[in-house]
Amino acid sequence: MQNDLGVEPPRADRPDEPSRVDGGRRGALKVLCALGGAAYAGAIVVPAVKMLAPSSEGGAGAARWMRVCRLADLTEGEPRRVVVVGDERDAYTVTRDQLLGSIWLTKKGEGVTALSAVCPHLGCSIDLNADKKSFFCPCHTSRFSLAGAAEAGPSPRDMDPLTVRVVEGNVEVDFKLFRQGIAERKEVG
Amino acid sequence: MKLGDWLDERTGYRAIVRKLVEATVPGGARFAYAWGAALGFVLVLVAVTGVLMMTVYSPSATTAWASVSYLQQKVPGGWVVRGLHQFGAQAAIVLGVIHVGYAIVRGAYRKPREVTYWLSLALVGVIVVAALTGNPLRWDQRGFWGLRVETGIIGTVPVVGGVLQQLLLGGGTPGHMTLSRLYTLHTVVLPLLLGGIAAKHVWLSRKHGPALAKPADAVKSDRYFPTQAARDVIVALGALGVIVALTWMKHGAPLDAPADPTSDYPARPEWYFLALYEMRKPFPGKLELIATVVIPGLVAGYLFVLPLLDKKADRGVMKRLPLLVPVGLFGLAAGVLTFASMRTDAADAAFGKAVAKAEAQGAKSLVLAAEGVPPEGALAMLRNHPETRRVALFEQHCASCHRMGDLGPPQGKDTAPDLTGFGTKAWAKRVMEEPDHDTLFGKTPFKGEMPSMTKPPADPEAAAAFTAMKPEDLEAITDFLAAQAQGKKGEGMPGEKLVSQRCTSCHRLDGKTDDEDTLGPELRGWASVPWILAQIDDPGSGAAYPKGAMDPKLEGHMPAFKEKLSEKDRRLLAAFVQEQAGK
Ligand code: FES
Repeated sequence: MQNDLGVEPPRADRPDEPSRVDGGRRGALKVLCALGGAAYAGAIVVPAVKMLAPSSEGGAGAARWMRVCRLADLTEGEPRRVVVVGDERDAYTVTRDQLLGSIWLTKKGEGVTALSAVCPHLGCSIDLNADKKSFFCPCHTSRFSLAGAAEAGPSPRDMDPLTVRVVEGNVEVDFKLFRQGIAERKEVG
Repeated sequence: MKLGDWLDERTGYRAIVRKLVEATVPGGARFAYAWGAALGFVLVLVAVTGVLMMTVYSPSATTAWASVSYLQQKVPGGWVVRGLHQFGAQAAIVLGVIHVGYAIVRGAYRKPREVTYWLSLALVGVIVVAALTGNPLRWDQRGFWGLRVETGIIGTVPVVGGVLQQLLLGGGTPGHMTLSRLYTLHTVVLPLLLGGIAAKHVWLSRKHGPALAKPADAVKSDRYFPTQAARDVIVALGALGVIVALTWMKHGAPLDAPADPTSDYPARPEWYFLALYEMRKPFPGKLELIATVVIPGLVAGYLFVLPLLDKKADRGVMKRLPLLVPVGLFGLAAGVLTFASMRTDAADAAFGKAVAKAEAQGAKSLVLAAEGVPPEGALAMLRNHPETRRVALFEQHCASCHRMGDLGPPQGKDTAPDLTGFGTKAWAKRVMEEPDHDTLFGKTPFKGEMPSMTKPPADPEAAAAFTAMKPEDLEAITDFLAAQAQGKKGEGMPGEKLVSQRCTSCHRLDGKTDDEDTLGPELRGWASVPWILAQIDDPGSGAAYPKGAMDPKLEGHMPAFKEKLSEKDRRLLAAFVQEQAGK
């Protein structure tokens, strides 16, 4: 089969039809190819899905008590905006003492109520009206009562309340963020 | 009209599928042809897992390690993906070498397949470079020091070396830019190159068909699908099995402590480069280039020109033996050198110790990182954590004279008391029995200052007057001292009275001593945190040792660290030493 150069003669035509027919084995081999291919693909796809699927854990649910101000700094019945400072966790990086957001605090007797300043519509920052009788959002003009009830505008729900406690004269808030744009109140991790 | 027809009219996909399905393998299907296909399968695995990791990885000197540790520890299945990627890459190197080796043995590189063969050589080369650019991306000790050495070697290449090194590092030293460049190479440039080469290689392989094993095979042929395809799948699954098993056993891929340019890390290359590493050893100084550049260059050159040399009519292995022998020798030498390198390291106890230390550091880093890494990066996290920082401080400032557990000067080089167990009863007892032992005060300026309580002095006259301390007194005193080390005052303990009677001729108790000129240290609060801190701050403050202890005549005495270390660091050290009292 070899010429002077030790090279196979050129195969002018690639045989179209196989010279050997495997007969009954052919079907079995096809199944093997399919199963083997599927197994191989599975070894890639399963970890991929596991890795990319949104994970249920993400810090949601757990209380994060943050000290925000002193009770004595608040005036009875008058909402006051305070910033929340705490450790910010961004995937693998934890940065100490970051500005995490702001909240509205109102003192009522010995108790304090807290409302998130993040608008439930699309997340703008809620402000107090000049007459101090209601809250409004500057982005799409949602209006809320001082208790946080949605009164006008596109906001799908009331302002988000936060749990507050007073410890030795210090106001502490369980700081949380919620999903925007939906009527349901759902915490984001 | 059916959707299939609609699509076929516009794309002609059916003809392509038919061509694939009906393709034939001239000479018949063989397992030997499956290595290349398995390599293809594995490269797909590596590519997909690589893209997956890109969804988490962050290439910068401060975030790279942290993001990888996050992937390894926090992202669900992240460690599996890492393992598949790394062991997949190593499997690709092995499969590539087998694929090329088979072609060489069978003479499949001969006319008309020279270019097909060259492309397969290039394929293996690019895979290896991809592995080399991939390893440092973790920015851990192993990856970092590997990069240092490799770019160092590149830098020694005449003429182009310096420029090449600069290009790779993106500057003079490894940092942010280095990672950005390696990342670009690893995720964009090399995969494109690899894909291009692989496509052309496969296309040419199909064009020429396999080199026939026997001339008689020319009349045989099989369908590619499923006859050859089944064989391909089986070998690919075998490779996958090994990759998955390794991933499982090693729990993903290794991740050492964060890259630390100031550390002494026992750097070794990955196993596929151990041969080159070992070969470098006998070539000193400038001759190193022979091992790092010249010999690998010659081997690659020989493999490249092989098709041009091999033109004999007969393609039998025996007839081509003279050409194959060098290739066999390369393989043999690589194997022997790799083995030799592993054996040298396995027999090297100091190396083993350094590796164990590095591994412990790595494990600790992962634990710390699980709590989150500060924005300054993982190295800062490790350095500032008390548990690692105090060890580093002790090593840097104390361990050249003092021994404490595993830390300390080389054996026998101690010039200050061994602090192992400092503050325990046993330690106090030893000082009272043999204060001038080499591991206590025998090598300090205080040698001869304190007599043994149990052994007579060397001077015969003094020995005649010597009475050994009664064991129960010794017991009481050491009980009192051990209580001091625990931070107790020990008032009213039997030992307290004994100390005030028997020790204060040279020592102080509550600052009181019979002779102000003596140098014995304060025993109230001995070996407690404040006592040790006072000693670290200023060994002549009087709070531990009296002023006279800092007399310049007492050469080689402990220096004061008040000006040299921050208070936080000094406190860290004092607490670290005091922990010995609990051992
Ligand atoms: S974001 Fe507040 S109203 Fe739209």
